[in-house]
Amino acid sequence: MLRKEVNELLTQTDPETPMGDMFRQYWIPALLASELPEDDCPPTRVKLLGERLIAFRDSKGRYGLMDEFCAHRGVSLWFGRNEEGGLRCPYHGWKYDYQGNCVEVPSEPEESGFCEKIKLRAYPLIKVGDILWTHMGDKENRPPEPEWEFATVPAEQTYTSKRWQECNWLQAMEGGIDSSHVSFLHSGSLKSDPLFRGAKGNQYNQNDKKPVFEVVEADGGLYIGARRMAEDGHYYWRITPWVMPSFTMVPPRGDHPMHGHFWIPIDDHNCWAWSFDYHPTRALTTDERQAMIDGWGVHNQYVPGTFRPRQNKDNDYLMDRDAQKRGESYSGIWGIAMQDASLQESMGPIVDRTKENLVSTDNGIIMARHRLRKAVTALRDKGTPPPGRTTDHQMVRSAARVLPPDQPFKDAMKDDLTVRPGVKQTSV
Amino acid sequence: MAGLHDLFFDPNHPTLLSGCARAATAEEAAFRVQYPNSTTRSSRIFALDPAAAEAMYAITEDPWNNAHFLTVTATGVTASTRADDLPLCHPDGSAATLESEIRDADVVVLLATTGDSEGAAEVIARECFNRNIMCAGLALGGGQDQPGVDRVVNSMRRFARVLVVANDTDYIPAMLTALRA
Repeated sequence: MLRKEVNELLTQTDPETPMGDMFRQYWIPALLASELPEDDCPPTRVKLLGERLIAFRDSKGRYGLMDEFCAHRGVSLWFGRNEEGGLRCPYHGWKYDYQGNCVEVPSEPEESGFCEKIKLRAYPLIKVGDILWTHMGDKENRPPEPEWEFATVPAEQTYTSKRWQECNWLQAMEGGIDSSHVSFLHSGSLKSDPLFRGAKGNQYNQNDKKPVFEVVEADGGLYIGARRMAEDGHYYWRITPWVMPSFTMVPPRGDHPMHGHFWIPIDDHNCWAWSFDYHPTRALTTDERQAMIDGWGVHNQYVPGTFRPRQNKDNDYLMDRDAQKRGESYSGIWGIAMQDASLQESMGPIVDRTKENLVSTDNGIIMARHRLRKAVTALRDKGTPPPGRTTDHQMVRSAARVLPPDQPFKDAMKDDLTVRPGVKQTSV
Repeated sequence: MAGLHDLFFDPNHPTLLSGCARAATAEEAAFRVQYPNSTTRSSRIFALDPAAAEAMYAITEDPWNNAHFLTVTATGVTASTRADDLPLCHPDGSAATLESEIRDADVVVLLATTGDSEGAAEVIARECFNRNIMCAGLALGGGQDQPGVDRVVNSMRRFARVLVVANDTDYIPAMLTALRA
């Protein structure tokens, strides 16, 4: 359980909240680069950390992310004209550049300098990999640009999607570090999903439904090891890294691409679930990429023209009780991503953690909350920058391996859990 | 998507909000049944070495739910020590036996900072394993005596369902609070 005040501390991310301030210490995913595909393309609305923003790409290819509303009379700039190096409000023609500076107020004499007194709050927007990243904190405390491996391998080796999840970011993220649910909720998908099936590790998952956990603190977050029995008294280890505040990776299976997530608050009741797949040493095959586009693995299908999943709470996630009876899907919901999302959304927009009954195997979640709380209060009370901002903290991988019983994974798998360019992932 | 809309919003078959997944709203959360959904757990926390005991004694006066705090009082306990012979005491100094303490326990937590306690860790963890009692091991690393911490973790690995290697002692109350100890 978590006390009410701590639950509120960790789940509220609007401006001038402690956790909101903490998220504003990081570069976070804001949009897919494909949402702004060319110069002068239509702008797109984006809400992050409780702030309604507009993103656009100007005539020179510069990305802008700023307050959605015109400073004149509050019109949404989504209706604006993206032309000649700026975004122009269609109401009275006020124009803004990619940094939020007002560069034209047609009704006022140019010589008056009036427009120099107008500026929309703006944040940097940079492209790394398939993602446009933003940093919504003070410029003076801006961390190095993101260097996550999935975003820096060649384009043919990686694929990223995002989906709207209708609950608070923390309960979504906690699903990403809760390994024990895999043997139940996703058991059907291990057999059928083209991005999971066929790996030897799946057999260990199926044969041992009571994993033993080992949680180890790392400088940037945690390593959460789940151990199942293998042959000859050996252990099959699956290691999930969590990097603060909300990066998680799923341990790999066979030679399938590796995958993971970012969980980014939209507001306190909604978040973006970013999902990526990549292979460190080879291009994704045509079949793999198509499977991701089709919603297999950690990805999902969409309501056309939106980032809302096709299976959502308005249609009971297209629950299929017959598939559940046939053993094809443990919960009756199709797809790994929506199996998770359906249950996490059912907890309510912000789950009441004062009511929960955690058990010892939830120690990964308990420790993650503890680390978040410590980092939030250290930032609030002492101005201490939180972990996870620097490149060395981002050089992590998930891994799976069979080890003798006397070998601690944190030592035996140290190299496996570190990004090694050009070296394949460690997997079973 | 028109077909889905027809299927789920058929005016001839109205659905209460609480009868579908759309009930996951803040307003509907107010209608969740309010009652205590668990009874008090019996937690037993064992400090296996003096440094672990010091960290544990710092929190024993906090308001816990039927948690018992115990200390292994002698060094030199080996894995072959009989469970009945394990030297234990309560915070007030009175003696305790492993049998009486874990008989009704729901969860046992072992706290250790060094490898000197690996024998005691194994004796308790093994007894819990044999009695099907959930046993969690918490090794307090803090960058000190890392080989020793590894030794105690290794000794518990075969018996504990959960092992945690934490840097700071402030994780002890955080974990016990989360577990409703």
